[in-house]
Amino acid sequence: MRMALLVAGMVGTLPLGVPAVAAPVPRQADPLGSVMWEAVRDQYFGDAPVVFDDAVRVIAPAAAEDTRAVPLAVDATALDGVVEMLAIADLNPFPLVLRYHPGTSAPAFATRIKVQQATAVRGAARTADGVWHVSGMLVDAAGGGCSAPPVSYAQKDWADHVGEVQARLWPAGQDGIARLRMRIRHPNDTGLVDGIPAYFIETLSVRAETAGGTPELARIDSLEPVSENPVYTLDVRPPPGATALILHGRDNQGGEIRATIPMPPTGAQPAMSRMRDPRRSIGQ
Amino acid sequence: MKRLVSTFALAAALAGFGATGVMAAGTGAGPTDEDLLKSAGNTESVLTYGLGPQAQRFSPLTDLDTDSVKKLVPVWSFSFGGEKQRGQESQPIVYDGTIYVTGSYSRLYAVDAHTGEKKWEYNHRLPDGIMPCCDVVNRGAAIYKDKIYFATLDARLVALNRETGKVVWNKKLADYQAGYSNTAAPLIVDGKIITGNSGGEFGIIGMVEARDAETGELIWQRPTIEGNVGTLKGKDSTMTGKLNASWPGDMNKTGGGATWLGGTYDPETKTLFFGTGNPAPWNSHLRPGDNLYTSSTLAINPDDGEIKWHYQTTPHDGWDFDGVNEFVSFDLKKDGKVIKAGGKADRNGFFYVIDRTNGKLINASPFVSKITWAKGIDVESGRPIYVDENRPGAPATGGEHDAKGTSVFSAPAFLGAKNWMPMAYNPQTELFYVPANEWGMDIWNEPITYKKGAAYLGAGFTIKPLYDDYIGALRAVDPKTGKIVWEYKNGAPLWGGVLTTAGNLVFTGTPEGYLKAFDAKTGKELWKFQTGSGVVGSPVTWKMDGEQYVAVVSGWGGAVPLWGGDVAKKVKDINQGGSLWVFKLPKA
Repeated sequence: MRMALLVAGMVGTLPLGVPAVAAPVPRQADPLGSVMWEAVRDQYFGDAPVVFDDAVRVIAPAAAEDTRAVPLAVDATALDGVVEMLAIADLNPFPLVLRYHPGTSAPAFATRIKVQQATAVRGAARTADGVWHVSGMLVDAAGGGCSAPPVSYAQKDWADHVGEVQARLWPAGQDGIARLRMRIRHPNDTGLVDGIPAYFIETLSVRAETAGGTPELARIDSLEPVSENPVYTLDVRPPPGATALILHGRDNQGGEIRATIPMPPTGAQPAMSRMRDPRRSIGQ
Repeated sequence: MKRLVSTFALAAALAGFGATGVMAAGTGAGPTDEDLLKSAGNTESVLTYGLGPQAQRFSPLTDLDTDSVKKLVPVWSFSFGGEKQRGQESQPIVYDGTIYVTGSYSRLYAVDAHTGEKKWEYNHRLPDGIMPCCDVVNRGAAIYKDKIYFATLDARLVALNRETGKVVWNKKLADYQAGYSNTAAPLIVDGKIITGNSGGEFGIIGMVEARDAETGELIWQRPTIEGNVGTLKGKDSTMTGKLNASWPGDMNKTGGGATWLGGTYDPETKTLFFGTGNPAPWNSHLRPGDNLYTSSTLAINPDDGEIKWHYQTTPHDGWDFDGVNEFVSFDLKKDGKVIKAGGKADRNGFFYVIDRTNGKLINASPFVSKITWAKGIDVESGRPIYVDENRPGAPATGGEHDAKGTSVFSAPAFLGAKNWMPMAYNPQTELFYVPANEWGMDIWNEPITYKKGAAYLGAGFTIKPLYDDYIGALRAVDPKTGKIVWEYKNGAPLWGGVLTTAGNLVFTGTPEGYLKAFDAKTGKELWKFQTGSGVVGSPVTWKMDGEQYVAVVSGWGGAVPLWGGDVAKKVKDINQGGSLWVFKLPKA
């Protein structure tokens, strides 16, 4: 039944000129040798073509110092036409960390994630032709990052500060790209700690305030593995005449996150323009 | 290509069939305003808290009757899970094959009514500093269109998609750090979701609020304490009462009067009825006057939040008698006339029958054996005839600042001749079925000053049972005469709601763990089932696939184990729990 509908749907769309995927990409073996790769690929990429591609850079420590907040950066700026990005930690109870919709922004993000045990950590970028470009590295870790009680649970006043935003926007460089970093107070509970319900940020949207409206610059679908009090770094492209950036988000319990991020003060210098760290080569 | 086209045609046909099937199952738009107003006669669903907006808790179903009830058997039981096994005071909502039930610690479950399989669960993340006075209970959800709603212990109102359990919106009702919380089931009238508030032990201001059920945006607010100003559509509306008419100084700013049990609605007179709680602090010597509108029933216009009338059951309450008990609209047939009346079994021990069009008292009579604070209620004035020496004395002034005042033994106890647990009215027997308790208390006053977020009582107390052999008493009260027609005595205090049916039955639960069925005319016990923990929820009934079902939650808790004093020895061995039990009468 479902198959029939799918076939019918393809018949309907083909004449509209949407490019069909050319030749099927053969399934490649996982360069990281992760036991979960096949399952992860089926779950998050389905039948879409997947290639392992060094053009996607994943930066993370070789060994996690704090399994509740492991820094992770994914940079796909070497690819053209990236429409969606994923971060995945194969052996986490919830492997998918977040989905990033870069919109007009550079296809790169950084955040901090929980890691339950030593695992392959991956970045993936889907280009307009429908192909997922995947890269990654192994992160060694002691156990428990997803199921250990969060630090905020011990803080009596977490509820007074939940949803508070600290953010900084650096001026755009010559390429028009401006570094945005934001930290949001939120327990980001996975629901795996006994007696603590799942309570995490689900959506974040960055818009520009301009005279002509508030166009969306980037959007994140954030999930359980993002660390408590999450930090996100994006390279956005504020349109000319933007007077501020607006962050609007929501958690899974309907809690609202709202912040207005001012444009950088005059005389401020652009941030380092590249996320990638030349001192670390990412293992394939 | 030809083959593909024919496949497409088949797919379209099947898709169309699927859509028809969905519509037939009725999952489409969900209950409308009209459905909610007419929910009392709906035997296929339980759409409202109270089985109808008037909250008579009467079902017209007759499959179960005094004979067949003996064949009632359990179908399945659903565990609320976790270690959060505290008082389960919820009433299930049943719609379209799904049961929506709330649990302790602000949890909401959607369960398949046929199988008991969980569809989804919402588990509210509560701050550490919540201050519910009387256990972490919740009394039920409200359903409307595509959403299901419930209020939380941190004083928020959450709207969820009833199919997926995803949160649609989540609105702050009040500041939990000032002592506010919320445990009652919301009420939905004409697209507005109407809530009360809890926190009367913390010097809060009682409030009734209406929000747009779609968006959660506030429409009106009505404070229950005189001298406080309401709002309508974002602007100040009218002052409640007259400033300082019955409150001294600025004590009306922390006057209590919490509307913690929610309200009922009468579609005939288009009126909301909300009971208001005790004045704060408990020490009545600090607040001479009637202390309007505490310990009262307020009749409120649902359009704008204006008060139509009020009836105060305990003016100048000095015993925490509260007045929050539900006001149940019914037709009083007396002397050949039909009077639009309402019944209220007050915590102060009197059963009031009031004209619901104007708030005039018709009669008031005791429904417990011992009432020490008043000799009776004067029908002409509607006011109690006080026994002045039964008011606990003022704390000694001068010298010993912490000296407590004269202690008195008073009955009923502050936990009430009837507490939160809702009664039922059967229009066929024309009787109210009231879950009552027989207890008294030693009570004395102490000096107190208001501090935000701290208990604001100014009183000490200890509860004592009146009789050795029972505390709880389910009583059938005739509203025409005030006479008690029959009673069932229970060892532990009754703390669960009552259901009555056209099958001449009355159902209620006991802390000892039984759900019981009685003959509505005689009180004879006909059936019981041990649920494994105390039953302090409210039973419901509906018909599904040609069979009559009954559901109740089980899980001991509530105010009794926390505040019950000497009663503890009657309840200390009851095990905690948290589950939903469903029974049915199998087809012959």
